[in-house]
Amino acid sequence: MYKSFLSWRYLVARRTNLIGIAGITVGVGALILILSIMTGFLEETKNTLRGSLADIVIEPSPYDRMDTEEPPEPGPFLEVVRKNQYVAGATAHLTWGGILAREGYASAASSAGMSGTLGNGMPIVQLIGIDVEEELASTDFEAALLREPPAGDLFARRIAVEDPKHPFRAPSDAPSDDFLRPWVVVGERVALENQLHRGSVINVATIAFDGKGNAAQSNREYRVAATFRSGENEADSTRVYMDRDALMDLLGDRMNFSQIVVRLEDYDRDKDAARSSLGEDLVAAGLLDGRGLKWEVRTWEDLRKNFLAAVENERLLMAIMLGLVLMVAGFTVFAILSMMVTEKRRDIGTLTALGATPNGIMVLFLMIGFWDALLGASIGATLGTLGALNIDAIERKLSETIGFQIFDRNVYMFDHIPAVVDPSAVVLFVLGAFACALLFAAVPAWRAARMHPIDALRYE
Amino acid sequence: MSDFAASDQPAVLTARDVRKAFQVGDRSIEILHGAHIDLYQGERLCLMGASGAGKSTFLHILGLLEEPTEGDVTIGGKDAWRLPSSDRARLRNQHLGFVFQFYHLLPELSAVENVLVPAMIAHAHGDRKMDRAADKSRARDLLVKFGLEKRLDHRPGQLSGGERQRVAVARALFLDPEILIADEPTGNLDTATGEAVLELLLDEQRERNLSLLLVTHDERLSARCDRTLYMEDGQIQADTGVVIPH
Repeated sequence: MYKSFLSWRYLVARRTNLIGIAGITVGVGALILILSIMTGFLEETKNTLRGSLADIVIEPSPYDRMDTEEPPEPGPFLEVVRKNQYVAGATAHLTWGGILAREGYASAASSAGMSGTLGNGMPIVQLIGIDVEEELASTDFEAALLREPPAGDLFARRIAVEDPKHPFRAPSDAPSDDFLRPWVVVGERVALENQLHRGSVINVATIAFDGKGNAAQSNREYRVAATFRSGENEADSTRVYMDRDALMDLLGDRMNFSQIVVRLEDYDRDKDAARSSLGEDLVAAGLLDGRGLKWEVRTWEDLRKNFLAAVENERLLMAIMLGLVLMVAGFTVFAILSMMVTEKRRDIGTLTALGATPNGIMVLFLMIGFWDALLGASIGATLGTLGALNIDAIERKLSETIGFQIFDRNVYMFDHIPAVVDPSAVVLFVLGAFACALLFAAVPAWRAARMHPIDALRYE
Repeated sequence: MSDFAASDQPAVLTARDVRKAFQVGDRSIEILHGAHIDLYQGERLCLMGASGAGKSTFLHILGLLEEPTEGDVTIGGKDAWRLPSSDRARLRNQHLGFVFQFYHLLPELSAVENVLVPAMIAHAHGDRKMDRAADKSRARDLLVKFGLEKRLDHRPGQLSGGERQRVAVARALFLDPEILIADEPTGNLDTATGEAVLELLLDEQRERNLSLLLVTHDERLSARCDRTLYMEDGQIQADTGVVIPH
């Protein structure tokens, strides 16, 4: 009893103890706040990436996408894939690279033949040819067409789709005399950066192969029907969707498709089983060679594993760096307690004379570390959790106050700062704070316990 | 031989052939050369001697704060220095009360709380149940009896020297120990205050029939004791056997 009673009195009597408590508060609070935001960022990124990709992508290795005498048809692949028990839907994509120039620029085709044109503002785009009906049934394309920009986003440039079931159909206000230019859907950022609006004419140029290893320049003009917003910056700033037939035409009908994109019934549950069983099914049907060289079956996480690993790694590094704040707080506890043990030598002698044991003295000083941890971790966990749960409102208020946008929502294309508070992580950080404080308190506490009572009583 | 020794009063503390040597570098310096003592129930025993004679070291060994190099100390029938340190701490808590020259009150606690500290330690040993209200009331009563009714919640820094020493005496007496060890209890007080504190100490000793072991340089204090032992060169030199009528 005297240990908890006296340790509390020592704690509140010395204001320097507040430094240790404040250090632990900052450490725990920052760990919870920052890592909640990092976790939220990772989760949000995963959701966005998953939406802009399919659950599973089956595609040829890069060496086999060209020079094919007889380009394969997607039909047999889709037939096998759709029969798989884990598959909810599948469709074919034809993807290719191109250069985009809007109306008024020099022809993209001639520009492509010149050096340095890309630096003059003609962006490289990813051309994606889709079969609309199957696409809408198998991916989040429709959701991306209908997604509105965040409220208050002054730079958003959305061109609303007229009919989401037929996004490549000419809008009702389209010029009636233009039958030659196919209609396309571009990413919201592509529209923003190229000042596109409904009906804008864009010129797309590319290099196509003739099946004999010869490359030939090719270009076509298209009209912009709508924009989409996947939420993934890269997709929204580079993709141009068009009908697969239109893209096949640009490529000289030398390619029919380049990917089979698959949606699973339950991705999280079935991803590994689906990946291997799809591979086996395609090998059994003679469509894959079984060595996994010519075609690859990959989940969206496989495709973006480097990016996801980078974010995960960043989170770990943040945890380590913020853990150092806790270590510094631990050193502060150590320094304050060491001073206190020296200051309290007489008290230690007196308590020993009154019947306290060395262990009792040690526990008394350890308990000061315990109080430091209890107060610091409780306040830190409360502030950190409240901060994480209200980070959006806090950031907006702070940005308003200082007149500077702290979190640029356009950079990440999130309309809020994502934060996910993981209760098990909060418990872990609180336990870490206790371990740290008690560990650093142990040395001065042990020194106090070993103090000779007579030396302590004689100390002036 | 004093009346106490001759009477059938039991010895509450005995020390036999106590030696203490300190290591200074590679030299061993012996401070006590076989000191011995018997303290009887209800006896006032004074220990005097010149500075460096070894009386403080002897007192610390008897108070179980300093381990002897050789010899035995028996308190409450137990060979104290052969007990484990936790049992020795318990013996200190239950059987001994200390009054120091410099009071040694805990500065963060009030007068009442300081008096309660031995009870809290006894509770931690499992030797005593803590009844907060009753104990606090008893501590207050004791301090009121010592004339500190207006100082109960004051901290040591807010008390005079004499008041601090009264609190220290109350703390030493709170668990009703058999033995009271007082090391120059008036040494840091002016004559009048010292006299008042001494009166209080001796009154309580008589009232409770405690054994008092008093270390002092002051002949007037020695004159108030039943027996005075002189220490010289680490040995007890003489037993005055003086009996002062109470």
